[in-house]
Amino acid sequence: MTDRLDRWADPPLLVLASLADEPKHGYAITQDVAETMGVRISAGTLYAVIARLESRGLIEPLESEDRRRPYRITMAGAEVLAQESERMSKVAAVARERLGHRLGWAGA
Amino acid sequence: MTRPARPNGAPLLARAALALYPPSWRTRYEDEVLALLDDSGGRLSAVASIALRALPAWFSPPRHLHDRPARVRASLATVLLSSSMLAGLGLVFAQLTQFQGFTAPSHPAIGWAYSVFDIALAVSALVAGLGGLPLWLLMLRRARREQRFRDLVYLLSPVIAPVAYLAGLIATTRLAGGAQGVSTGWFGVITLAGFAAAATAAAGPGLALRRLQPRGPALRLAATAAGVSAAVMAAAAVAIVVAVTGLCLWVPAFAGYHSAMIPAIYLALVIVAATVTTVSAVRGTRAARSL
Repeated sequence: MTDRLDRWADPPLLVLASLADEPKHGYAITQDVAETMGVRISAGTLYAVIARLESRGLIEPLESEDRRRPYRITMAGAEVLAQESERMSKVAAVARERLGHRLGWAGA
Repeated sequence: MTRPARPNGAPLLARAALALYPPSWRTRYEDEVLALLDDSGGRLSAVASIALRALPAWFSPPRHLHDRPARVRASLATVLLSSSMLAGLGLVFAQLTQFQGFTAPSHPAIGWAYSVFDIALAVSALVAGLGGLPLWLLMLRRARREQRFRDLVYLLSPVIAPVAYLAGLIATTRLAGGAQGVSTGWFGVITLAGFAAAATAAAGPGLALRRLQPRGPALRLAATAAGVSAAVMAAAAVAIVVAVTGLCLWVPAFAGYHSAMIPAIYLALVIVAATVTTVSAVRGTRAARSL
């Protein structure tokens, strides 16, 4: 089940969501995403996403005294995350409603 | 940005995977990725995921890691050099097969491959020449105006090197050639000299690009032309692969003439040159779009 979720997950969004509360470095992001969202992000995917988000100004690196550089979500990143969360909430609401009609799913 | 000290025990495989990335990407993220691998136990699947993401990092490098005009100039210089090598490899193959008597390939696919290569090479050279001419003239004018003699020599190398090579070729064939043409040894010398001339002709403008650092519409036009030229050269590379494979499969005399190792090495060189040309052209064209 986790593998299927991994395949359909949106890694940039997961990283933004992970950074929404406080700055984290790479390993902390992967741990947080795995524990709170149930999705594993590989090292290659994580740094491809970090590079892309940084180039778009959605996250920013912080100074670090060792090799574990933390990242912080920017205002632009927070706005994108809020918009995407809203969109996902709508999708989730529609999905719950329709599943409720069709299967009598109690989660609706 | 200062680079933190690296740990001594970083796994060799992880470093090998990171070596596949563009230098600017490595400078920025290598230490962090190694730290992540250290923390997560450095599993093979994690290293493999890093290696798999290397090619996209070349094709589509993050914007914040590059000065875009600098990337266009670097890509142009690489495309010039690698496509010259690719053209040289194709020409050597065509010359060599004629030299060895394989002038009438017995399978139509081989004949088609020769024709496709000839046409692709001509079109590619024409597009690159026309698209690069304004930039070349721009740099030439500036080098003359500012009396930068070294840059003038670099810029004129596409003219000087082929002329010098042709003069040397004529002299060699007159002095060392007989009724059957030149000996195998001299053919090798001529071939190596040809590659050296092509490399010199291509490297000169690349060095001038780095030193003069031109910008503007001429640079963008040259990058676009290089992209089109590289796409056409990719067709030429496919034609070379078809011709060599076809000769090995369908012309027993060719297969008997060579050990399988020589065509295999040759094809590997062609594929490397074609890959470098294509990747560099894509990088340059993408960067040029937002100049």
